[in-house]
Amino acid sequence: MRSHFLHMLLYSTLVAVFFAVLVRDTPSERRRLGALLWLAMVGGGLGLAYLMYPFPA
Amino acid sequence: MTGVADRVAATNAPVGSGLARASVAVVAAWAVPGLGHVLLGRLRRGLLFGAIVWISFGLGMAHDGRLALRDPRQPVLSALQIVANLGVGPADVLARIAVYGFPAYSFHSVPGPRAGDPIEETFRNRARTGVSIYGTAYLWTAGLMNLLLLFDVWDIALGRRP
Repeated sequence: MRSHFLHMLLYSTLVAVFFAVLVRDTPSERRRLGALLWLAMVGGGLGLAYLMYPFPA
Repeated sequence: MTGVADRVAATNAPVGSGLARASVAVVAAWAVPGLGHVLLGRLRRGLLFGAIVWISFGLGMAHDGRLALRDPRQPVLSALQIVANLGVGPADVLARIAVYGFPAYSFHSVPGPRAGDPIEETFRNRARTGVSIYGTAYLWTAGLMNLLLLFDVWDIALGRRP
């Protein structure tokens, strides 16, 4: 798989699930933290990519 | 959910008690990701964590991830990379045997464009595949996640975690 975007989604999912289960004890807390981590990683990545867009490759 | 069922199972954990129990569980958790939790009766937690670490490790190997070698020019950095790789336990040794032909952990000579070292050749060929950067991230993440899990196993074994 060569898609950077798909790797970002997959990697973010693995890491978000891992930390959500590791540091939270109830399902609702895990869902909330997992979603937050996932959005932070994916959203942060996309936001950074958008900010870097004007710069030459 | 790994709560009630796991906690009930934990009271019937098959491993001994105290520090010995914690030590056995930590070694097992390092040797086989997920096994430490299973030994402590946290079956679902162990299976989930094991699956995450193994998937990450498998993705790393499938994408030609870098199996770090000690580089005399960057001793600290390359040593930390090896620690991250070794986090998954003996699977790292097996992966190196599969890739390099034996459990290589250092370059035979100082790496550079002149060297004709077969280990270095393999190392560089994998890095040239274009997907190696992804694979390397997965491999290091698998190892570091498993190292974090050792602390979780230790805390569970000593009753510091519910």
